[in-house]
Amino acid sequence: MARKVAVVAAGHSKFGKRYDATMRELCAEAYKPIYDAGVTQDKIDATVLSYAASQFTGQGAGSALMADYLGLQNVPHLRVESACTTGTASLRAAWGMVAAGLYDVMLVLGVEQMNRVSSARATEYMSQAGDMRWEYPYGISFPAFYALMASRYMHKYNMPHEVLSKISVKSHHYGSQNPKAHLPREVTLEEADNAVPICRPLNLYDCSLITDGAAGVIIAAEERVKEFTDRPMWIKGIGAGASAMMIQDRESLTSIPGAKRAAKAAYDMAGVGPKDLDMVEVHDCFSIAELIAYEDLGLAEPGKGRELIENRDVYHDGRIPVNCDGGLKSKGHPLGATGLSMTYEILKQMRGEAENPSRQIDNVKIGLAHNVGQSGQFVNIFVFERGW
Amino acid sequence: MMSEKKELYLGYSSDKAVTPFFQEFLEALDQEKLMKSVCTQCGTEFLPPRQHCQKCLSLCELKEFTETEAKLWSHVIVDFAPESLTSKAPYVVAIGEFPSGLRLTAHITNLMSVPEVGMALKLAFEHIDDKKITYKWLV
Repeated sequence: MARKVAVVAAGHSKFGKRYDATMRELCAEAYKPIYDAGVTQDKIDATVLSYAASQFTGQGAGSALMADYLGLQNVPHLRVESACTTGTASLRAAWGMVAAGLYDVMLVLGVEQMNRVSSARATEYMSQAGDMRWEYPYGISFPAFYALMASRYMHKYNMPHEVLSKISVKSHHYGSQNPKAHLPREVTLEEADNAVPICRPLNLYDCSLITDGAAGVIIAAEERVKEFTDRPMWIKGIGAGASAMMIQDRESLTSIPGAKRAAKAAYDMAGVGPKDLDMVEVHDCFSIAELIAYEDLGLAEPGKGRELIENRDVYHDGRIPVNCDGGLKSKGHPLGATGLSMTYEILKQMRGEAENPSRQIDNVKIGLAHNVGQSGQFVNIFVFERGW
Repeated sequence: MMSEKKELYLGYSSDKAVTPFFQEFLEALDQEKLMKSVCTQCGTEFLPPRQHCQKCLSLCELKEFTETEAKLWSHVIVDFAPESLTSKAPYVVAIGEFPSGLRLTAHITNLMSVPEVGMALKLAFEHIDDKKITYKWLV
């Protein structure tokens, strides 16, 4: 029988255009608060140190570099790669090792350094996560995949673009209150709805940011948890899902099929449902992705996700708060770090440690992280439970 | 004496990863024929083609795909393109669905208005240059 596993500490670098740092320094920024909390190198049995795309840096064997820079050069490590869901894929891999009894205490750290290349080059690299034979030759960029979903969704449900802009307004509202955020400023609905087009129907404010940053967590087996904290966050449920590689082969574009499958698996394992959630971190790489996530997670019926944003149910004082850290849109999206940034945020909210009361969610007992890779080829969903 | 194979690329790429199977597809496309693949064991059809059947992993053979009319399933106008296609932006990418249910992703090259889900698409071909060839949509 698998051992219970908890998140006992977490760290997070400043997200942004970090020309003052590279991958290694970002990793140190994320690990330092964990070290300061007492999880020194000698307490860590093994690590998963990951990044999604080596093209951005040219660095091979990156987990070795990261381990060495953090003083963990003699501790077993590995890298996991699953595009934008690399962070929670790493957490899933580490959870399995701890639950199985291979290790007791593991550091899981994700990083991405994306701004040392131009935006056009970064867009090129990310488009290579599409099918290189059949999709890449037609210039289907990362936003283009989600624009294909948006076109279909807006047609099917006769939805105006303004609904998507309302999600962007919320993201920036909370990002402006998050000192770790890449673009911490408010935007108006008019600005968001009329921004320069990127991949129509998606515009600039529908798209997440090309961000440098790192985030990490320590997980521990139940019998070791008390050595580190009296406020652990239990990993209660994990669901993983997958969808077809080529977007034309999906059964639907108004949903991410793998996300629905992952959600069911996570809820079943945790023994909870959408109504039990106190907060949710969703993978809003694009505004349409957040809207679809509401529905894939069962927070709204298909086609009804817009009601959650229009009724402000997803604000911090609403019925089901979503992305009250700014999300990928305003906080930023350093690919390999994103899933662990979500985990960090849920632990912070459970502990009542949001920097600003105006984004602190009240009394979080159950939180969910929804982390999607590329356009849905891989999805990881975690349900966390407050342990005190 | 074997004839030398013609250097061909699909769409706007210069991907060198051309297998004999893919080369056969490209050479047919160069003759303005779109090929699907059909599993030699279970008969499942694939568009675009696969050398191995997704269901039973048996080898597939290429056969000409004869449908030419499709409906637009979804679309995007790419304004900010990947670096390799920056000079071509803006361009319209559309997924078309044929009556058989098979789909194909390509550019619409003659659209003078906003694309709409459900609009009629016609399959066409284009020699982009002497090495690059593609299928595309016309409205």
